[in-house]
Amino acid sequence: MKVALAGNPNSGKTTLFNAITGRVEHVGNWAGVTVEKKEGNIKKSLVEGNADIIAVDLPGAYSLSPFTSEESITSEFVKKENPDVIINIVDATNLSRSLFFTTQLLELGIPVVIALNKSDLSKKKGITINVAALSEKLQCPVIETVSTVTRKNGLQDLISAAVSVKGKKQKSPFEGLEVDLTDKKSVEAADKKRFELVKAIVAEVEDRKTSSNRQTRQDAVDRVLAHKWLGIPIFALVMWAVFSISQTYVGPFFADTFVGWIDTFNGWVEGLLGDRVSPVLKAILLDGIIGGVGAVVGFLPLIMVLFFLLALLEDCGYMARVAVVMDRFFKKVGLSGKSIIPMIIGTGCAIPGIMATRTIKNERQRRTTAMLTPFMPCGAKVPVIALFAGVFFNDSAWVGTLMYFVGIALIIIGALIVVRITGEKNKRSYFIMELPEYKFPSIKRALVEMFSRAKAFIVKAGTIILLCNAAVQIMQTFNWKFQVVAEGAENTSILATIASPFAILLIPLGFGVWQLAAASLTGFIAKENVVGTLAVVYSITNFIDTEEFALINGATDVAGVMGLTSAAALAYLMFNLFTPPCFAAIGAMNAEMEDKKWLWGAIAFQLFTGYTVAFVTYQAGTLITTGAFGSGFLPGLIAVTAMIGCVAYLMKKGEQKATAKSALKSA
Amino acid sequence: MDHTVSSKIILPFSGRTKRNVNEVTNLANAQVNKEYVIKEVKTDDEELKNFLFTLGCYEGETVTVLSVVSDNLVISVKDARYSIDKDLAEAIIV
Repeated sequence: MKVALAGNPNSGKTTLFNAITGRVEHVGNWAGVTVEKKEGNIKKSLVEGNADIIAVDLPGAYSLSPFTSEESITSEFVKKENPDVIINIVDATNLSRSLFFTTQLLELGIPVVIALNKSDLSKKKGITINVAALSEKLQCPVIETVSTVTRKNGLQDLISAAVSVKGKKQKSPFEGLEVDLTDKKSVEAADKKRFELVKAIVAEVEDRKTSSNRQTRQDAVDRVLAHKWLGIPIFALVMWAVFSISQTYVGPFFADTFVGWIDTFNGWVEGLLGDRVSPVLKAILLDGIIGGVGAVVGFLPLIMVLFFLLALLEDCGYMARVAVVMDRFFKKVGLSGKSIIPMIIGTGCAIPGIMATRTIKNERQRRTTAMLTPFMPCGAKVPVIALFAGVFFNDSAWVGTLMYFVGIALIIIGALIVVRITGEKNKRSYFIMELPEYKFPSIKRALVEMFSRAKAFIVKAGTIILLCNAAVQIMQTFNWKFQVVAEGAENTSILATIASPFAILLIPLGFGVWQLAAASLTGFIAKENVVGTLAVVYSITNFIDTEEFALINGATDVAGVMGLTSAAALAYLMFNLFTPPCFAAIGAMNAEMEDKKWLWGAIAFQLFTGYTVAFVTYQAGTLITTGAFGSGFLPGLIAVTAMIGCVAYLMKKGEQKATAKSALKSA
Repeated sequence: MDHTVSSKIILPFSGRTKRNVNEVTNLANAQVNKEYVIKEVKTDDEELKNFLFTLGCYEGETVTVLSVVSDNLVISVKDARYSIDKDLAEAIIV
């Protein structure tokens, strides 16, 4: 038996889905988090008689109207999946809007059960809903649910109701709404009638103590958090606090202990191997695999704390306000307000972020957003940030915060350039976004999110990163004749000879050595590899010193081994964050852009951005700290100027296209 | 547009630089905290119009502006709050 979950955005579908299936899909307290359907088996404890029931979580929609693109994804799903029963999740605090969608679902000829979700919130707001009357009016079962709690949440009743209606014919309460779906006028007229019906039902079954269009404390908070001038500084402060907690205080506290365990494990394996095993094999196992993977995994506590905090932020409703604050800037550069959603999702992982661009209708805006989303530092980039913040900048929270804001700035500048190149800057776009109510974030949900991220991180470290580190270690150990490279002749190793040509290009950026070039290259497979490879090539098994609190103590040593100045370190960090993302994310870009020219353009643009940002950071930083430009300034300047020239030329061409277009229009 | 012209003629010496508050034509110049009835959603963008419709934002329905934040308006339609930008507010004629 198959059950589809359908309902308005932010009605709590995914939370309910997670509650009935025991899965841990990402949930956000705002519209548009789910773009792809998700499937899972309903927990046996909720089902009488142990039947197999598959639940399908669909993206949120406000209607099934055939004329809106966002909605058609959902209606396609409903038709294609052909579920036995639809569970319609209705937000009890907003019956008058939610039931419009319900009336459409009731006409599909598939039995519907209504989950009157958030019924705890509606009670708190003084809303009483006559459930029996509502059920009778709609001629389908209505069950009150609270999917955020584990007991007395109505979920068992909901599932039994769904099972009991399977295969039964439900009479649609809206007879006489036969409409010709191809005729727009007829659909519109029918939809208006539908809203009238909903209004009549709501008037009968709902009793509200206070009207919802009065100003509340929420609005007062909005006026501060989404303030024209205060909005950005507040956001910066919030992000700084997140990094300060995760990277400077709580994260390292756990990381120290954790890294201690990894070291002990390394020592234990070394003891186990004894002297009988060949030194080469030993090095591959101890330095390459355990050392490299361990260096990456050492950052796990920091990442967990970070995601815990980000989940709290998302759950309390703050992120929707950030979107409002950002809209002003995004609009100026020709992006839609909707572009913000993929970017915020991209702070977890760029791939779902890029996939979320699907809801943007305008093709250029969608492609531009897909191209710029990877500039947001994702979870995989966090270890890289943490490593550099720890080794070179005393664990300062400003490093991470700065990276986020540089990412946002690059997105805005990038969008500005792209809109000029495409010559479409006069396109108007509207912004509308539902503002969810602020609420106290659920600790449990944040913990669930944190552990699911941690699990994904460990799985990745144990598979792809492990393989990469082993490969790097092998390539570093042998030369092309498969002889072990002699001490002092490291430059002849396979890895060194592959990475050296790239290293030459990186001289003007301040890090033109093959070790760092190799780490950047492996970063395209997965960004965590940057940390792993650095650990392998410099034989540092742990970046987080176990003694005392601290990256601080070990810092000078590690920094010394890498031989980078602070300016070069910051440039190297930015280079790794703002060049093209990992291959998986590039694959996602390819899928959403649906155009090879755009894809290659995007990759070229990302390379250009990473190179230029690193160049400027290194050279300007060196000039400030030492009073002179860094190495390779002139060739670097020529390269960057040439690239900027190319971009400027393309922008000019786009501008001409735009003028020609508007001339054509006015003629 | 007639409204703007007439307001300039009627109130040339009133010393107000802003348009008279009594002459609310769309949500962008609506008063905060006052309920308005939507007269029309004026846009060529059919998809937007349809979308607004599904939220319950169409002629004959009521809408209230709750606050102005970052150049956007916070409006209440049915029982939900939305943030909309100025362009969209101008398209909602009240």
